[in-house]
Amino acid sequence: MEYKKTIGIEIHCELKTNTKIYSDSINGYGTTANSNVNVVDLGYPGTLPTLNENVIRTALKAALILNCDINKIMHFDRKNYFYPDLPKGYQITQAETPIGVNGYVMIEVDGTPKKVRIHDIHIEEDTCKSIHYKHHSFLDFNRAGVPLIEIVTEADMNTPEEAMAYVEKLRELFLYADISDCKIEEGSMRCDVNISISKTDELGTRAEIKNIGSISNVGRAIVKEAERQEELLENGEEVCFATYRYDEKNDKTIMMRVKEAGNDYRYFPEPDIPFVEITDEMIKEVKDSIPMLAGERRKEYEKRGITTLNANKIIQNRIISNYLNLFLDTDINFVIASNLLLGDISAYLNKSEKSIFDTNLYKDKFIDVVNKLDKGSINSKVFKDILVDLMETDDSVDEIIANKGIKIISDPNELINVIKTVLDNNASSVSDYKGGNERVIKYLMGQIMKETKGSANPELVNKLLLEELNK
Amino acid sequence: MNKYLDLSIKEINELLKNKKIKPIDLVNEAIERIENSDLNAFITLDKEGAIKKAKELEDKEVDNLLFGIPIALKDNIVTKGLLTTAASHILDNFIPIYDATVVEKINDANMIIIGKTNMDEFAMGSTSRTSYYGAPLNPWDKTRVTGGSSGGSAACVSARLVPFALGSDTGGSIRQPSSYCGIVGMKPTYGRVSRYGLIAFGSSLDQIGPMTRNVYENACLLNVISGRDDKDLTSSHAKVEDFTRKIGNSIKGMKIAVPNFFMSDIVDDEVKDKVNEIIELLKKEGASIDYIDIDYLENAVTLYQIIGMGEASSNLARFDGVKFGFSIKEPKNVDDLYGKTRGEGFGEEVKRRIMVGSYLLSGENAKIYYNKALQIRNGIRESFKKAFEKYDLIIGPNATTVAYSQDEGLNDPLRSFYDDALVFPANMAGLPGMNVPIGFNNDNLPIGLQIIGNVWDEATMYQLASFIEGKLELNLDPREVK
Repeated sequence: MEYKKTIGIEIHCELKTNTKIYSDSINGYGTTANSNVNVVDLGYPGTLPTLNENVIRTALKAALILNCDINKIMHFDRKNYFYPDLPKGYQITQAETPIGVNGYVMIEVDGTPKKVRIHDIHIEEDTCKSIHYKHHSFLDFNRAGVPLIEIVTEADMNTPEEAMAYVEKLRELFLYADISDCKIEEGSMRCDVNISISKTDELGTRAEIKNIGSISNVGRAIVKEAERQEELLENGEEVCFATYRYDEKNDKTIMMRVKEAGNDYRYFPEPDIPFVEITDEMIKEVKDSIPMLAGERRKEYEKRGITTLNANKIIQNRIISNYLNLFLDTDINFVIASNLLLGDISAYLNKSEKSIFDTNLYKDKFIDVVNKLDKGSINSKVFKDILVDLMETDDSVDEIIANKGIKIISDPNELINVIKTVLDNNASSVSDYKGGNERVIKYLMGQIMKETKGSANPELVNKLLLEELNK
Repeated sequence: MNKYLDLSIKEINELLKNKKIKPIDLVNEAIERIENSDLNAFITLDKEGAIKKAKELEDKEVDNLLFGIPIALKDNIVTKGLLTTAASHILDNFIPIYDATVVEKINDANMIIIGKTNMDEFAMGSTSRTSYYGAPLNPWDKTRVTGGSSGGSAACVSARLVPFALGSDTGGSIRQPSSYCGIVGMKPTYGRVSRYGLIAFGSSLDQIGPMTRNVYENACLLNVISGRDDKDLTSSHAKVEDFTRKIGNSIKGMKIAVPNFFMSDIVDDEVKDKVNEIIELLKKEGASIDYIDIDYLENAVTLYQIIGMGEASSNLARFDGVKFGFSIKEPKNVDDLYGKTRGEGFGEEVKRRIMVGSYLLSGENAKIYYNKALQIRNGIRESFKKAFEKYDLIIGPNATTVAYSQDEGLNDPLRSFYDDALVFPANMAGLPGMNVPIGFNNDNLPIGLQIIGNVWDEATMYQLASFIEGKLELNLDPREVK
């Protein structure tokens, strides 16, 4: 009989607010060390916390997205422990009344949907960053007081794939709802995985793997930790209740410290912050502010004919996706639009290091150019030629084409002459076609475009060519 | 030697306005009085800063009643650039880089901060004897305690070293020393005065308040320091109206309650007798007096110990030798740094309270003690609320005794708590409470009356206190009673 894995995940996300959670310092971890710090962040004697309302709203948004019940009267609690990175000797967090409880998120592995229950989501402050150098330790207080939410699942996952799907899903949701930038590698999203294995319904002793550095490593760490636990159990040994880290280089989990039973944080309600009331009005406002999330976007794109692969590519780039969403209420060809955005336009944006919203590719221009490509009045070569002007000038598509001296031959008489010449020069292809080989059409089209230096209206050429061949 | 500081604030104000004197005259006089005093009332005398401020004020218009008046601050109120120790070894080199909100307000009113007063270490105690700098002495009898924890503030106002001081009151620390030293002290409604910059002891109980020679001046100082502060979320948006506005109004028809607990056996007869005299006086004046029971009042001592020490154990965690204050040299590692810095830096009483508080919040204890205490605290709040539906004010003694000997009760850590049984309830309920002197015992030691008001109703308390003060016309200057 196989061991069954039981996995629960705790994720910390830094919230994208302008200022810190309990002071008006800039929320700018990553800038020069100790430049975004005031007496409150330092835990100076006599200082008191304030409460950033945007943190409440952002956390509320996360709780709503994760289908949580909201604690409408909530308070903060102190978690007391000594550590150099903890300025006040306690962390202001939520223990008793987390903003959201009893939520869930739907994940999908190999087409099978699964519900992962959310135990709670609570608000807290980040600690200082410790930097160790030779025999010294340094503290960067820029991170102290950065707002965090912690999302704690029930132990509902059973495979590394499910765990990875959960983390990926959470990341996608939070990115799209503008809650966090969710950069696991940079630490703005941190994953702690709890895992135990058992052959029976009784759960085994769990191990906690802290701060796993990437989504794929979440999977690897689970595989390796489960192997390690299985080996212990098979040898008649016991799993130790402890904290581990995943060592990517050696692909194994390494014990950091044994967990002491009953860690005593002496929680009690934070007396410096009055109870917070979350009103129905606030809930409605926040609900209304939630943009279309990734899952729904994917559906909309696929409905409009975009392949799953391309839909996913677009969703990976939220700005491009937001741009494409401007056209959801138009009837442009989304396949062409998505190809342009993922292809030449992305290449241009990467090269010029611009956001598409900072270019001159206004909504009307984009509709015009997509429609022109759709109708065949321009082709992709022309698009490439006019791209820079489209992005950088206020000229209309027609003006750009005219200014560039790009000629598009849409005169049937002129085109017929070219077609006839090409057919005369490729008699064998013509006979192949007559013999049933339709593939030669592509070759012949190419020859005609070559002859016209790419300026022929491709749709019209196609039509005329077929007429000519079928005569 | 001039005796401007013996004049009333109104008189001083007239002299300043008429340019008969300058602020520097007041500062020089205060400095001379403090330097000639042996009461150990001050931890830090800021001569240089006070003189500088006085000179600056010479060019300014006398814009308010408290302009140019010297004031002393309890040393747990943070002052930018001026040593702030909380009477602890662990902060004996701590020079803050910001001002408490009350300090900004004092500065905005163009008052002159003369120095920082002695107190119990981190305000933990009720005799000021836990100070790292030695106990202050009671101006009425130097062998007696000043009370505490705001003992230095009480002593310096009582001895007429300065007309004004600020104290803080977590469990009677303004009212009890005011009672022992014969001055007027007000612990305002919780939330009335910003706590930003007050070194926290029991955050849900702490409140800064004025300590003065008389009732009117007390109300004037409360006017200066009150009001919502966005830096303190527990400070109230409640409207701040002139606290002197009811002073002088008749107390006829005023409904006053005396809790039976306040006149029970725990109070010395000499104290009760004085309070009874006042009760008779008030009846005669047309106020009604009822004796009532207020539920859970007798539990306030226990609640104070649980809530106060629980919060204190957390509030004092930040003194770890890493960022500010005292730090031991050459620690072996971080745990060694914490252990030794805190072991050497804190005094016995503070360590005792941190340990008791940590125990009370530990694991299951939090439910058994702390959460239970919060429930009973709500009970006290409710029973006071009920009482104030019927009564305007509640009165009783502040202290069970007069100031006792400096040598008494030193080995009894619980003594101070039971001595303070009468002052804790106001902190538990967040209500304003004050002391007004009502006489002396046979040894000529002051006895005080406690007045507890409804939330935000300090003005009515001043009304009654001022009436009593006016009727009694006590000589409250210890220099004249030898």
